[in-house]
Amino acid sequence: MDPSEREKYQAAIHGDREAFEMIIRVHSRTLFAIGYGILQNREEAEDVVQDSLVKAWKTRWRVRDPEKFPAWLTTIARHKARDVFRKRRAVPLSEQLIEPIEAEPANTSALDQKLHSALAALPELHRTALTLRYFEEMDYRTIENSLGLTNGALRGILGRALTSMRKQLRPALVSMD
Amino acid sequence: MAAIHDEIDNWLAADLHGELSTNERSALHAHLVDCGACRKTHQEIKLMNKILEETLAQQKPDPAFEQRILAGFRNRVPQRSGLVKLLVDLMRLRATQIAAVAAVLLGLVQIGRMITGEPATAPRERERYVEEQFAAQRSQFSASRAAQSGTLAKSDEVAAGRPGDLALKEPPSPAPAQSKDERQGSAELERTIVTGSNIPTAAEEAAQAPTQEPVPALANRKLIRNATVELEIVSFDNAVQKITAIANEEHGYVATTDSEKQANGKLRGQVVVKVLPENLDRFLQKIRSLGELKNQTLGTEDVTKAYLDTDARLKNAHVMEQRLIDMLKTKTGKVSDLLQVEKELGRVREEIEKMQGELKYWDSQVQFATLTISLAEKDMEEPTAFLLKERAQLALYAPDVEKIYNEIKSLATPKVQVTTAQLNRDYSGRVSAQVSMLVAPEESDGVIGRVKAFGRVENFQTQTQRIAQGGNPAAAGSENARTKRDKVELNIGISREEQEQAFQQTNLRIRTSSVDEKAKELRALAEKQGGRIRSSTFSRDPDGRAVANVSLRVPVKDYPALMQSLDSLGKVENVSVQRQDRTDAQIDEANAPADVSIQVYSQGNIVSQNSGLLATLRRTLAQSAGAIMWSLRMIGVAIAFLAPWAIAIIGVIWIARRVIRAKR
Repeated sequence: MDPSEREKYQAAIHGDREAFEMIIRVHSRTLFAIGYGILQNREEAEDVVQDSLVKAWKTRWRVRDPEKFPAWLTTIARHKARDVFRKRRAVPLSEQLIEPIEAEPANTSALDQKLHSALAALPELHRTALTLRYFEEMDYRTIENSLGLTNGALRGILGRALTSMRKQLRPALVSMD
Repeated sequence: MAAIHDEIDNWLAADLHGELSTNERSALHAHLVDCGACRKTHQEIKLMNKILEETLAQQKPDPAFEQRILAGFRNRVPQRSGLVKLLVDLMRLRATQIAAVAAVLLGLVQIGRMITGEPATAPRERERYVEEQFAAQRSQFSASRAAQSGTLAKSDEVAAGRPGDLALKEPPSPAPAQSKDERQGSAELERTIVTGSNIPTAAEEAAQAPTQEPVPALANRKLIRNATVELEIVSFDNAVQKITAIANEEHGYVATTDSEKQANGKLRGQVVVKVLPENLDRFLQKIRSLGELKNQTLGTEDVTKAYLDTDARLKNAHVMEQRLIDMLKTKTGKVSDLLQVEKELGRVREEIEKMQGELKYWDSQVQFATLTISLAEKDMEEPTAFLLKERAQLALYAPDVEKIYNEIKSLATPKVQVTTAQLNRDYSGRVSAQVSMLVAPEESDGVIGRVKAFGRVENFQTQTQRIAQGGNPAAAGSENARTKRDKVELNIGISREEQEQAFQQTNLRIRTSSVDEKAKELRALAEKQGGRIRSSTFSRDPDGRAVANVSLRVPVKDYPALMQSLDSLGKVENVSVQRQDRTDAQIDEANAPADVSIQVYSQGNIVSQNSGLLATLRRTLAQSAGAIMWSLRMIGVAIAFLAPWAIAIIGVIWIARRVIRAKR
């Protein structure tokens, strides 16, 4: 981490609001991707980003090492998203069934729906890695830092995720070919 | 490349994402050329990647996303303004943090001081505080002094104006007017007691006293002065004559004289002299030359108030008397009333007489001071005679106590008196006797010699005491005192021989194979040698070890023979001999008792029943069972120790979880 960045995190930890807002500008999309990866819902993911940032500001003094600030932020976002996910399950099943039909118009093609269901079937970490990669076209290094993974692990995760998607969508792919 | 083929998914994904190094990429492409299956996968993955890129890009946040998030954040976490922001910004500075910590520490220290009550002022302030206190005390002190000496004219202004100066200027001794006031007012009874070495200084004071005290001031006061003096003189009569002469000189008189002759011919007595009060001190000075002063007291009693009170009451009583007499003269009223009046008159008159007597007594006391002189001739304490008192103590041991007791009692003659004689028999049947007698001095040696012949004398002590009669025995110069020999007190204690402490104590062990046989033999041997068995025990333990303890007593003269004969019984071991030589008492050594304790024992079985395979097994089992029980106990203790805490912690965690869940 370069010194100016480190300084920025340090200032934010000590309560510098401007520095924190700068961090928000840089990282909020990453957090969104994480939230979306878990929840697969844009509104909810945006709420998660908001909540996570407020919580991060309030508990910033817990971070001892400024280097770990980004990883800490993503951890908060993941926890928040999981909380939301758990709560959603408590909502009656019928509502859940009706909603996607309303939210997604029928003309978004069968492929789109299949893709989403295939994504939903992936493990959470795989999904998150995928969203980080495809939303923001993040390079592997940044993803590794955000999720706390090694290069090999990330390669494996992405490879497996893609393969699993490919297998699920094979009929559609064949038809497209 | 098998590795690439196996992990083709990862490689392909990384390739599509542009994360492969140049080398890796060429290796992958080389493999794809070779492997048809992987080529197919590659096609699919490429397609999949494209779909994902297209689809997920749609889900990507819109460009205004960051602005929205920021706005939301600002909305939910309002920016602090003004003072609060300033404070928060300040707290970010290291210097401020240190200052804050220091302030908190100081605050804690102050609170601690307040709690412990230690003065919180700085040292310099404290000094000033002390100075102020001191000054305040000084001014207060001087003010009070000024107020006390109210008779001094300008006291008020001085006290207000220069308090410090006054305190310094004021003389150490109080002003004369004040002194008189104080002495007459507060010290009703003034006493000076003079003893021993500090008499001269006291005498000086006494000599100065009359010249200092102005006589006219005393004139209207009723003061009773009296003094006592103790003197040691050579001749009593001579001293009395001199005192009478001095009394005449000083216009006084000798009121009473009494004397008493002591047993040693010395005189002791008391002379009471009345002198005019103002001459008392001079009189004392003169008397002191008569002999050695032992003790002197001088007292003054102020009876002015009581005198005036009595005087006033007397006047009232006179008026009352007159009125009652008038009542009788008019003779009106009933007879009983008259009787009552007469009775009252009698009471009043009696009172008047009493008061008059009191006043007269006081007048006489005031007019003359009373001086009591105790005289004692020198060497008062010398004893007149000495008495030589002899006391003898005898302890006798004999086989037959009663016989000796009767024989001693029969020694009684007019010159030998038996004062106490008692014969005791205690619970165990032991007999002892005690005889005390008073023997005329000339008979004493004969009697003691005869008593000694009755038995073995253990202890004989005589002690002579010279008792002074009619005086202090330590007093010197007893050459003219007579010395007389008093009757000799003889105390005789008689006990049986067994009770006598052994002159010689021997311990030994004899090892033998047949203990009880040898023990019997030993007893027979002892009887033969003139010894007496005092105690014997026999015991056998489970291992077959037998022990017999025999203790016996022989006269010292038979002791060597006995020791020799013991050798025939077995192997004699561990011989220890203890002899108690008594140097103070005359003792008949040949007949003195010697105690011998003999332990006869056998070795017993070498192999104990507690050894062998079975016994060892039994012991091991017992020990392991014990160990298990012990560990069980320890576990119980540990559970008792930990369980409450574990339960408490689990409970707290459970409650915390419930609370968190309830919040969600």
